[in-house]
Amino acid sequence: MSEDLESQLRTALRPIAPSAALEKKLIACVTAKAPLAPPVAGRRGRLGFHPRARWLSLGVAACLLLALGIQHRLQERHERENGLEARRQVLQALRMTSQKLDLAYEIVKSQSTSLADENPGA
Amino acid sequence: MGNPQALTALVLAHQRSVYSLALRMLGLKDLAEDLAQDVFMQLNSNLQSIESSEHLGFWLRRVTAFKAIDQLRRRARLPTTSLDEEAHQYADTDASDPLLQTHLARLLDCLSPQARAVMLLRYQEDLDPTDIARTLDMPINTVKSHLKRSLQIMRQKTPGAHLARPEDYST
Amino acid sequence: MRHAKIKILLALLAPALAWAGPNPRLLLPDFTALAQKASQAVTITLDPGLLSLAARFLDGNDPQDAATKEVIKGLQGIYVRSYSFDQDLAYRQEDIDAVRKQLAAPGWNRLVETHSKKTHANVDIYIMVDNNQAIGLAVIASEPRQFTIVNIVGAIDLQKLHRLEGQFGVPKLDIDAPKTAH
Repeated sequence: MSEDLESQLRTALRPIAPSAALEKKLIACVTAKAPLAPPVAGRRGRLGFHPRARWLSLGVAACLLLALGIQHRLQERHERENGLEARRQVLQALRMTSQKLDLAYEIVKSQSTSLADENPGA
Repeated sequence: MGNPQALTALVLAHQRSVYSLALRMLGLKDLAEDLAQDVFMQLNSNLQSIESSEHLGFWLRRVTAFKAIDQLRRRARLPTTSLDEEAHQYADTDASDPLLQTHLARLLDCLSPQARAVMLLRYQEDLDPTDIARTLDMPINTVKSHLKRSLQIMRQKTPGAHLARPEDYST
Repeated sequence: MRHAKIKILLALLAPALAWAGPNPRLLLPDFTALAQKASQAVTITLDPGLLSLAARFLDGNDPQDAATKEVIKGLQGIYVRSYSFDQDLAYRQEDIDAVRKQLAAPGWNRLVETHSKKTHANVDIYIMVDNNQAIGLAVIASEPRQFTIVNIVGAIDLQKLHRLEGQFGVPKLDIDAPKTAH
């Protein structure tokens, strides 16, 4: 009696829970706050700068730092992706090489066995 | 929508779906974790555009699938079906039949990124072809073709199997 | 000006000069068209930069990764082309022969040439030796519906590669690594 593999496919592809560490990171990603809140209008700072200008320049600096940080993070992530992919390809290439060496050995072995069978006592 | 508790609940509700989709598309845990974080970071920037919880599910699946397909395209390789490959990292280790699980999960690797996404949205996310077409911006006939062809491949490579008949997805 | 021209010329020639002797790097045909017909295809091209990048991501604490790191330590390149088809003879023998011709060049030694009458599988293994050290490996394996070409460039340690077999889930073979042929 054949089983219903479509339901087995659904079972095989049940969603997998991420690790607790990843869960924390995902929550952090979604709950990350936005940059500084806008200033109170009309007051001047001690050095004569308008507080709004001061807040704006701080905001710009924060945005720049954030942008640099994101850029750096993206570059790191890109490198990591490439590195993991390179690793995967190395493992795959060496595995395939080993398999073919194994295949050669098996062929040689089976031929030796056949020869031995054909010439017993030789 | 800005309440940290609500956002945390949102992650808890959808993280399995996003993570599993990423993992089965990309095949590597590290890449899948990065992708999942990417998706939720993007969600953070787009919260205002989310209209409902149904829309949220749609948005998350779509962004995850698109990002994964994009990454796979950048890898510029075709999948291999060598069954002697390293144990896939996306088999559910708690499964009752881990061998079949691994086998079926590995067969996904034979499929093109788009076909893989279609199969996952169908059998992991339980979407019907119309919703899959909407999620991936794909004509429905293309979705049905992917399902039909993918099932044919899986049927060929799983002896004794009786999958949904490919005719069920005739265009 | 003349010195500058010489410098530029030397820079262009550097890759060739790096292998002033026999060159273990094979020129692999462009199999793009064939890949489209294949049911499965593997194309791996790992130059020194990518090998070095991969080595950084191999975990020294994991036995498989550590053993792999050892194998690739002296390598300059790993190149794999592998294609499977749904029908017999979907690929041309000429494509394989173009690679085999290169292995007739000086420096290459054929270690093993096998043919299975039962499965019609052929596996040829070649090695290039310089100063008593293997500096290149080539494997050509073909079956009616599949062929694989592997070219490894650099100081390949066959014993280490052989030890790696157990790590990959391929049964460890009870053989010694082949001695270099002369």
